[in-house]
Amino acid sequence: MRKSMLEILACPICKSHPLELKADEEREEEVVTGSLRCTRCGLEFLIDDGIPNLLPPEKCDG
Amino acid sequence: MDKDIKKVVREGYARIANVGSCCSTKSPCCSSKGDGSENRISEKIGYSEEDLKSVPEGSNLGLGCGNPVALASLREGETVLDLGSGAGFDCFIAAKRVGKGGRVIGVDMTPEMIDRAKSNAESGGITNVEFRLGEIEQLPVTDRSVDVIISNCVINLSPDKKSVFEEAIRVLKPGGRMMISDIVLLRAIPESMECIRQSAEAYIGCISGAIIKEDYLRLIEESGFGDVRIIEENSIGKDAWSDQLLPDSIIEQFDIPPEDLEDFAKSIISIKVQAIKPIDR
Repeated sequence: MRKSMLEILACPICKSHPLELKADEEREEEVVTGSLRCTRCGLEFLIDDGIPNLLPPEKCDG
Repeated sequence: MDKDIKKVVREGYARIANVGSCCSTKSPCCSSKGDGSENRISEKIGYSEEDLKSVPEGSNLGLGCGNPVALASLREGETVLDLGSGAGFDCFIAAKRVGKGGRVIGVDMTPEMIDRAKSNAESGGITNVEFRLGEIEQLPVTDRSVDVIISNCVINLSPDKKSVFEEAIRVLKPGGRMMISDIVLLRAIPESMECIRQSAEAYIGCISGAIIKEDYLRLIEESGFGDVRIIEENSIGKDAWSDQLLPDSIIEQFDIPPEDLEDFAKSIISIKVQAIKPIDR
């Protein structure tokens, strides 16, 4: 995901904005791996292969 | 129960994503045969040849009832959110319309579809599109940040349509618009065909989750939208019904009387709806 997306992303549960970005691997403007954290409810959402997983946590069991 | 439905839908569409443009599920939401018929179907439902040529190969799965009117309305610089973006087909057409100054965000709950959409974006060199793994009932998008919401034959799949519309109006900017296409019913599924409502295959095929047209429009209005209008309404037609909406296997399995089937087929329609978020919300 591009860092500019932080302007629009919010926590899917409490809708808090902005989310806190932790970038582990970056390629130019793109965050390839890392995480997004909601500073209000503390939930963490992983970024894998450039795609943030913002599914509500209880639904992540597939 | 809702969770079970979502699981069924997610697994069904993951299969479609994985088999690419040669899917095995027959439905209006998946009529691909991998023989170029996706584009013929898409032209028939209103996409221009130019639009079809402009998208990366593999992004048109021939799914959906089509949303070309919404796409045609997009303007330079707008921020667009696609609910249930699949392999990215509508997102890529939207991206071209909004240009470099605009952006398009696709949300889908199926990881396999998101992966496919992302690789399609990369192969097409499209940089103003982003894909998010998320649910349309709980959008990971901040309030009042989107100009236009589009969605192509997806909301019928949601077991909680009320939340979808409430989330849509939340993320739209005041004065923003929602332009969606979907399958709805003119009459309830008859009792003799209750089995269809229980069928996972029919759910994925966009029938079981479809609701009565008036209820659909009422949910949109109750969410706070104004100026709710049907722009276009098309019957699915009996041929498409028997061949695509419901696989023959289900009809045979449940031994549905032909007259009931024909009657019910007439009550399935696709609609294109536009609704506006009032300026003062």
